This record gives sequence, C-alpha cells and structure tokens, in this order.
Amino acid sequence: MAEITLENETLELYAEKAVFWKQRKALLLADLHLGKVNHFRRAGIPVSSRPNDQNLERLIDLIRKTRPERVLFLGDLFHSAYNSEWEVFGQTLSYFPEISFELILGNHDVMSDYQYLKHRLVLHKEPIEEGPFILSHEPLGQQPGKYNLAGHIHPGVRLTGKGRQRLVLPCFHFGQETGILPAFGVFTGLYKMPVKSRDRIFVVAENEVLSLK
Amino acid sequence: MDQSRKHELIRTAREWFENRGWSPFPFQEEAWNAYFDGMDGLVNAPTGSGKTYSLVIPVMLGAVREERNKKPELKAIWITPIKALAKEIFLAAERAAEGLGLDWTVALRTGDTSAKDRQKLRTSPPDLLITTPESLHLMLAQKNYPKFFRSLEAIICDEWHELLGSKRGVQMELAISRLKGICPALKVWGISATIGNMDIAMEALLGADYSSRATTMIRADIKKQIEVVSVLPDELDKLPWAGHLGANLIDKVVPIIKNSTSTLIFTNTRSFAEIWYQKLLARAPELAGVIAMHHGSISRELRDWVEDALHEAKLKAVVCTSSLDLGVDFRPVETIIQVGSPKGVARFMQRAGRSGHQPGALSRIYFVPTHSLELIESAALREAVRTGLVEDRIPYIRSFDVLAQYLVTLAVSDGFRPAEIFREVKSTFSYNSISEEEWQWMLRFITTGGQALTAYDEYRKVEVEEGIYKVTERRIALRHRLSIGTIVSDSSIKVKYLSGKYIGTIEEWFISRLSPGDVFWFAGRNLELIRIKDMTAQVRNSKRKSGKVPSWQGGRMPLSSQMSKMLRDKLHDIAVGNRTGYDPELEFLEPLTELQRRRSHLPDRNEFLVECFESREGHHVVMYPFEGRLVHEGIAALVAHRIAAITPITFSIAMNDYGFELLSDQEIPVMEALETNVLGTENLYQDIQASINSVEMARRRFRDIAAIAGLVFKGYPGRQIKDRHLQSSSQLFFEVFHDYDPENLLLVQAYEEVMDFQLEEARMRKALERINRQKIIVKYPDKPTPFAFPIMVDRLSRDKLTSEKLEDRIRKMKLQFDD
Repeated sequence: MAEITLENETLELYAEKAVFWKQRKALLLADLHLGKVNHFRRAGIPVSSRPNDQNLERLIDLIRKTRPERVLFLGDLFHSAYNSEWEVFGQTLSYFPEISFELILGNHDVMSDYQYLKHRLVLHKEPIEEGPFILSHEPLGQQPGKYNLAGHIHPGVRLTGKGRQRLVLPCFHFGQETGILPAFGVFTGLYKMPVKSRDRIFVVAENEVLSLK
Repeated sequence: MDQSRKHELIRTAREWFENRGWSPFPFQEEAWNAYFDGMDGLVNAPTGSGKTYSLVIPVMLGAVREERNKKPELKAIWITPIKALAKEIFLAAERAAEGLGLDWTVALRTGDTSAKDRQKLRTSPPDLLITTPESLHLMLAQKNYPKFFRSLEAIICDEWHELLGSKRGVQMELAISRLKGICPALKVWGISATIGNMDIAMEALLGADYSSRATTMIRADIKKQIEVVSVLPDELDKLPWAGHLGANLIDKVVPIIKNSTSTLIFTNTRSFAEIWYQKLLARAPELAGVIAMHHGSISRELRDWVEDALHEAKLKAVVCTSSLDLGVDFRPVETIIQVGSPKGVARFMQRAGRSGHQPGALSRIYFVPTHSLELIESAALREAVRTGLVEDRIPYIRSFDVLAQYLVTLAVSDGFRPAEIFREVKSTFSYNSISEEEWQWMLRFITTGGQALTAYDEYRKVEVEEGIYKVTERRIALRHRLSIGTIVSDSSIKVKYLSGKYIGTIEEWFISRLSPGDVFWFAGRNLELIRIKDMTAQVRNSKRKSGKVPSWQGGRMPLSSQMSKMLRDKLHDIAVGNRTGYDPELEFLEPLTELQRRRSHLPDRNEFLVECFESREGHHVVMYPFEGRLVHEGIAALVAHRIAAITPITFSIAMNDYGFELLSDQEIPVMEALETNVLGTENLYQDIQASINSVEMARRRFRDIAAIAGLVFKGYPGRQIKDRHLQSSSQLFFEVFHDYDPENLLLVQAYEEVMDFQLEEARMRKALERINRQKIIVKYPDKPTPFAFPIMVDRLSRDKLTSEKLEDRIRKMKLQFDD
C-alpha cells in the first residue's frame, strides 16, 4: 500500500487496484468490467470464466481490509448487456448490507436501471462532488476548485532503464487536475498514458504499489 | 483403367501436343500413365515447365463420361495458393479442353468471386473448379455440401511446397480428408517445386493413403543454369555496416535495368519496394512510365495491369516482393535483381528462375547487398546453387487452431458426427498423433469453450443435437464464415481516391499516426490524406514530397539452416585464407574482415567467438553461432536463462542471422558462465522450456493461433467490427489462459510451435554440440566490431529475460516524460 495526500485528504493506494479515502471511509474502484468473459462466451468465444471469481475475491478482500462505509464504482462496472455474472455480483453485495454501494455510470454500463436498483446500488448518472473531489467515469478536464478522480483510461506507464530495459505497468496517475485509477478488472488491458514531469505516478508491481516520485 | 484405353487416351493427348507443335516432356507422359493407372502422387516440377498439362490432361481425359442430358456435376478441383495463378491455370485448362475436344466447363472461385457468381457455381457446378484452400473451406461451410462434391474424381494441389510449410497446408489436409470421406475413390495429386524433403511433402498430402495406396513421385528433372552476380560499390566504404534497404547502390542498378529488355527487382518487404520505386524514379526520371511496382497490398486491379504489361513487354522494370515469386510466366523478363539477402536458397532459385524461360537458357541474378557482411551470404548462395542444395519445408503438425476452425466449419454447414470425423482427421499427416483425450478436449472446446458448463453458463457456439454437432445461431455461423482462413494480418484499412477508386490496403496503425493533410507514399504515388471514414482512408494525389512510407508488419525471413552451413563454410574460407577463385565478394570484403580480425578475432570453423564490451547503453556480450536468427533466439534465451540463475540480472536480447547479443545494465559474469558450461547440452530440454516461458516467443506465436481459432475476430479487411464490446487482443487471451487455463490446447500449441518451428530443438542441440567441439575465444574489443554492430543496432524483435525482483528493477528505472 502507498499513500498520497491530495487537498488535505489521505488516499491509500492498494495493489488490488483500488483507492481508499481514509477520512470518508470510502473505497473507490474503477473499470471492473464484470461479466466480460461471459459476454465473450455467449458470443461463442471460448475464454475461461475463472477471471470472474478472481475479480470478486479481490473485491471481498479489499472490503475486509479497509472496512468502508461506502464503495464507489467509477463507471464500467459491468462490461455489457445483462448476463448471469450480474447475479453473482449481486449476491456478493448482499453479504455487506451495512455498506452503501454506488455507481457513477460509465459508457459500458448499458443495463436498465432496474438491474442496478435490484442489487441496491445507488445510481449516479452524473459526476458527483464529494468534499474537494469530483468523481466521474471519464476524466472531466479542469474543474474550478475541485480535483477530479476518474477511471475509463485503464492507465499504464512505460519505464525505461539502462541496457535497453523496458517495463509497462498499470498505475495510479495523478496529474494537476485529475487522478486516474487503474482498471480493477482482470482481462481489461492497459493504455500507455503520457506522463508530465509534475505528475505523480504510482505503479502496481505485483503485490506492491510503488511511488515513482 | 485397361491398358488399351490408357494408350488410346495418351495417344489423344500426344496428338494434341503435336498439333500445337510441342512434344510432351518425359515427366508429363509419366504423370499421364501414373494417373491412368489409378495412382495418387506428386509431380516435382518447377514453374514454367508445363507442369499444369502433366495433370490437367489426364484429369480431363480420364473422367467418367456423362450420360446425356444429365445435370453437370463437379469432377475435379484444382487448388492454387494464389489468386493470380488461377487465371493462368484457367486459360491452360480451357485450351486443353478445347484442343482435346472435350466439352468441359472450367470455373474460378476465389475471394474475388462475387456472391452472385458463387451462387451460380452452386446450382450449376463446372466440371473443373479452380480455387484456393480458403474458398474450398467456405464451400464446406455451405448447406448440403456433400451433394455438391459427390461426383468428384480428383483434387490437384498446385504449388504444394508453398502450402506445405504453412497452416494453409493443414487446411488442405483436412479438406482432402473430408472429400475422401464423401468420395472414397478420390484421386489426390500435388505439384511441387523441389524442396529438401519431397517424401514428407507427399506423405503430408496423401495422409494415411501414402502407405496404403499405390503412389508415385514424378520428377521433371529440369535443371536451370543460374549465375549469381553481386552488385559491388566502387569502394567498400560505400556499404554500411548495418542496414536493410541497399539504396546507396542505386546508381549501379540503373544501368542494369537500362541494358535489359525487362527486369524484375525483388525486395524483401513491401515498404522497401515502395522506397526503391520512389528512388529509382528520382534517380532516373526517364524511366517514368516504363517502370511499375507490384506487392500484395496494392489493389488487384493495379496488379493485374502490371502483370499484363509485363506479359506484353511494355515495362522495362517492376519493383516487387514475393508477390511475384510464384506463378505466371513473364517471358520478356530477362534480368532479375535481388535486393538484400533472400535468406533461403529455394526462394533465391525460384526468383532466379523468373528469367530466361527458354529451356537451357542461363538465368542471371544480380544480388544487391544492403550491408557489407551480406556479401558473404551472396557467396554462400552461389555455393548452394552450385551444389544443388535446397531447404526442407517443415509441415505443421497438431495445429489445434486450424482443427477448431475446421470443426466449426463443418458444424456451420450440415453438422458432423464426431466418430466419423475423428477417423478422417486422424488419417491426416498433421493429426495422426492426436489422442482420444485431445479429440474430446477439442469437442468440449467448440461446445462449451473448454470447461465444464455450469447451470448459468450462456456459452454459445456448437450445440449437440442427437449426436450431431452443429451451429444453430445464424449470427455465429455468419461470423465464422467471415473468419475462415489461416492467414492472419493486422487490421487493415482501404485506401481510395475521393472518386471511390480503390488503390490498396494499409495497416491501421500506420494511418492512425497521420492527420488529414499529411502526405504519404503508397502504390508508387504521393497521396494526401483527406479523411478516414468507415475504415477507408480517402486520399488525393499530391505534388508535395513526403518521407512517410507505410510499413507492413510481417516477419523478416530467418536464414535457413542450409544457408547457415554455407555461410559458416565461407567464413572459414575467409578466416584461413582459402580462395575459391569465383567469389569476388570475399576479396572485396577483405578490409572489413581484416578490421574484424584486428579489433577482435575472425573465427574459423573450429572456433567460437565471444565478444564482451561496455558502452553507454550498458554491458554487452555477443556470441556468434552463425546458425540463423531463429536458432539464435533460442540459444540466446537459454544462455540468458542460465546466467540469470547465477545472479539476479536482467537482459535485453537481440539477434540476427550471425549471432546474438545479451545486454544488461550490470556486469555480466561471462567467464563464470562459460566455466559452468552455459553452452552445454545437459538438461537442455528443461532449460529450453524454462527459458521460453520467460521470454515472449510463445506469446508471439499465440497471436496467429488466437485469430485462427476464432478468439479474436477482426472482421473483414476494411469492414469494422460491429460489436465493440467483443474487442480484445490475443495478448489478453494469452494472459487469461496462462493464468487460469494452463491446460488449454491452444496455449500448449503455442509452446509446441515455438519448439518445433522456432527453436527447432533438434537444430539447437546440433548447434550446441558443434559449439562444444569448438574452441571458445573470448575477446574484449574497445569498440563494437563489424560483426557486432548490425546486431546492436537492430531495434526490432528484442527479447527480455530477468531473474531480478520486479521491485528492484523498478527502482533502477525511470519514467519517460512527455513534456
């Protein structure tokens, strides 16, 4: 785990690819893309459905570790149209009746409201303001007086070293106005983000989060 | 067939030949005899030798006569690997039918055939159908296909050597096994140029029938005289130490073109063809209008125009790629120029054979080196041609990706019964080792995606109804039909003029780096990008000059093992000062080889050279087995793996056909490694396994496997994927399979392919045994040597291997800032 202080708030960064906002006891996750393998399987593309279990186990671990009051999903919670994985997810949520699960809709979240409400998710159709932050799926660009936390990008960075060494790793990417979370889901891929010298980058290296500043 | 009828038919054929003023070659008559005797077999004959008539004639004459008024039925299929050849065969077949007085209908079916014409073929089939492996599989994906094929008597695979070494060969083996299932008496014949393993080629074509039916191999034995001439600069200094283009010799090439009626200039990649064409025009503007360009990404229409113009002797020169390796005879072509090493003898001979078509004529081929050391390859090629050496083509075996695709193809048409198809599949060369368990896995793979179905699983592909495996969902059937084939290319987009005229295709990644208004060079013209719309780049001609030339991904050919051997022989000659008297290249190179000797060492055949030095980039160790790039990739990974076991270390690995480089940020314990026998053959198999796990080889192989097996659906070239939520990359699949489904046969196949084709474990073991008999010479040059330089600057296909902890590596590395 690593920590970053933004606008006097402490954010803990977990190698499970999640942010825990300490003061507010809120767990922030982006781009779970649940049910993606089911969507592929339904179209006749033979991929194992085991990554599904891995996603949910990691979510449960994080909740046990951080004991949040709220879990905020920054969009692309579910990959596509409804499939049975949604019910497995719903069952998982039902183990934690004391937690408020909330979703800020992303471009992949295409199911009817009924499906979300059924598993008692609080739905946000627009970005929401929480303290000094504005939370959204896609990065919003500069927001007066607010720092934007978002997902959507699936950020990764390239590292280089002597001897022509190269590495590409998923990362938490904190710029001047926007902080981007890594994609939580397995089987989701990376986008290599441009990095500016004032950005703060934390890479996820297996079970560690390492600051590159 | 009884003997008197056979003689009568052969007489008919002979008469037709004589009427045209020809006389049959012995191999042609031999083939007619064997065919009429009911045999299967392989005709070994080069392009331009009359090979088509060796089989078209007996197929036509020997066919069962039809009763009057009966609906026509398909009697024979002729498979050709490239569409361009189909036309030529079509004309030859029509000529033969007419000359022999047979009212045979001949038709073509390729990817270019319109839907309407395809429909017509189905309802009124021709007697002879000329088609490609992919189109044949598409026909197997049609409802009631057994009825269409039921009176088939023969199938001929032309240019079988070309199909053999690719998965298209496996595709043919499967299709033939199915056609034999429908028509048990089917005759199977192939035509192949000479390769090193002709017997294996025939066995792969005939499958189990190779040993159970009467078969024969017919050799044309037509020898071509080939002269290899290197194009040398005035001074050795004019040639770079590393490079691939060779354009600085253009002044020497222009006169060769001018002095010849018609010249083909072969380059190794499509972008080099583009650049050479551009540079030739710039250097010799008077050639405008009489030179042209030909490669696989240019539209069919433009290519046809070039081919016709070549035929009619209207062109002075054509810059081309392997797209003109095969097929059609261009009689006016007098001269061949090869730019850069062709890396294999067979390919070189094939190209040399494109000129001097008259029997007995001398074919001269000019070799244009792209860097200085390549001149040794030129001498090696000459030696190979002189001694008549040719390479093997290794057929693919156990390609589960092709099998998965084939089974779904059968499920899309009429559905299949596993017991029957298993018998057929097992009778092929490719799958004769497939086990009952593997077969069951394949069936599970296409029905459930390879895992036990849970109650909620929505997996949809092949379903089982009353023992018949079939696809019922139209959407899945359609998508499958669109993805039949084993040639995997990057997603490409069409290039068209605003008027809609189609110019060719370019890979998407190239266009994505351009903005509207940018000018690029393609199909021999300067084009300005107007906009990208619906997977089409709209362009117009531009007067502005531009440096941007598209490149197409696609492998560079590695040096074949036969060529490697020749190369080592030539190097030995240089090292010990042997002069053959007919290799001017080697004498020309002397200043460079002397520099190598001064800076480091020039190894003879009893020595193995290792060079160690430090540069700004880090610590380098370069070793020179001279075994070709593929084997080097394997040995490099092995050596890196073994050194990494001594100490935590990270390597970046590069290789070329001469040697490989291990580069690290820290000092490499090379003496310790050599003392612990880092090049030894003990535990070789285990160490190879471990080392390929840690580098990217299997991952790269998986790219094609994922596409063929239907994991990654790219849509048709130029047509966009409708369902964006189904987009994924083979890389992601590889990772998921690796982490969650390690037994997956497609994953297993990726590793098997690395072992069989890339590392060629047997070849690697032989190389290491050879190295172990050599004296190891370690040198510490002050500067990179002529041998090392081309490897060090190669930025393509670098591997990496590490035994350091990820965290430790990250601490030593830096971010690249974009501001």
